[in-house]
Amino acid sequence: MEAAPKKKWWRWGFNRWLVLLFIIASVVTVYGLGISPVRPRVQLPAEHVPGIPIVLIVFAAVAILLSAVVHRWEGLIAAGWFAVMAALPVFLNFQWTNTLTALVIADGLLLLISFGVLRALKSGTLTPKGVAGAVEALLEYLYNITEGTAGRWARTVFPWFVTITLLVLIANWMELIPGVDSIGMLEKAASGSGYPIRSLTGGIATIFQSAKGAVVQETYNIVPFVRVVSTDLNFTVALALIAVVMVQVMGVRAQHGAYFTKFWNTKTLFTKPVFGVIDFGVGLLELISEFSKILSFAFRLFGNIFAGSVLLFVIGALIPVFAQSGFLLLEFFIGAIQAIVFGLLTMTFMAQAMQGHSGGGHEEA
Amino acid sequence: MNITGADLIGAAKLIGAGLAMIGAIGAGAGIGIVTSGAVQAMGRNPDATGTVQTNMILGIAFAEAVAIYCLVVALLILFVF
Repeated sequence: MEAAPKKKWWRWGFNRWLVLLFIIASVVTVYGLGISPVRPRVQLPAEHVPGIPIVLIVFAAVAILLSAVVHRWEGLIAAGWFAVMAALPVFLNFQWTNTLTALVIADGLLLLISFGVLRALKSGTLTPKGVAGAVEALLEYLYNITEGTAGRWARTVFPWFVTITLLVLIANWMELIPGVDSIGMLEKAASGSGYPIRSLTGGIATIFQSAKGAVVQETYNIVPFVRVVSTDLNFTVALALIAVVMVQVMGVRAQHGAYFTKFWNTKTLFTKPVFGVIDFGVGLLELISEFSKILSFAFRLFGNIFAGSVLLFVIGALIPVFAQSGFLLLEFFIGAIQAIVFGLLTMTFMAQAMQGHSGGGHEEA
Repeated sequence: MNITGADLIGAAKLIGAGLAMIGAIGAGAGIGIVTSGAVQAMGRNPDATGTVQTNMILGIAFAEAVAIYCLVVALLILFVF
């Protein structure tokens, strides 16, 4: 038994006092000083932000600096990734949107985590610590699910499952970072839809809720630099297309031509008159359901995360103090669940496509 | 205060979006039934928790898909038309 640790004056923990301090500070700011959050404009398509490549270059510089400080080469790879992404709009003619920035950041984070785990693996330790340990636990959990569902195809299906899950997970959780969706450029609003601005320092300003009845000449809205990538339909539709197309590829790889009899089922059409026709119709329905999978994949993720971010906006504006924390917790869970569901459904569809209806998949698994 | 045709259309849009989300009732009931069944199954056979959980999430996802279609219609009404 070690010597009893000296009693500290913060013996109930230090962080909780910080939390209390922040709560008091927010109460004072909102009700004392009268500065309350405003409800941002809700917009379905992603906004075009021209200045983003410069921000990415800054990210690259920060990544290089960090890797120099902690003597790790992973930062250089992330820096290279940011630099390449920043150079893209220069060479290719496309508009850079704020959700694309979020995707690039999510990819960079995923790369960093992967290299961190790789480093932990290469070092030969059997009990990885920190992020590597957390990722190991997550992967083990996911692999057990995959083995239970896909059986002998688990090793083929697993990479798709995990890649999609991790990317969507990081993309969803970016919603929880303060500053995402709220720091951006000011854009002059159409009459009656914006807020007046108040200058802080230099070129930085904030929008605020004007007093009732006050006449404001120029109103502005904020176009955020970073907006959660799952609230962009382009991202979710792309992921859904990748998932569903790969399901077909896996099916053909495992069953070859026999896979298509699932859709064009003429096996029993002439031998059993009534049920053959029903089987044939079911096959056509399978074809339709393949397409509806794309739709439900894309809109499930998009709808949940978009509705979640609108919920956070509205709650933040309605009850500025304390209430949003609870909803942040809710969004934390929803983000995790949607990521798992997206990956899990992909995995299950792949397993179904590979095993087929004609038995064969049942002897193991 | 004059109410113009554009105001009426805006109001009708909001009502329509609200009505479109009525379909979420079915998904809510469905998810509740799925989860209650899964929890009962897990309570009776805790060893099967893994399998039951996977299938429960799958069932929830399919039930939810219907609510998602409602959400899509509501969002289309609000933001596109």
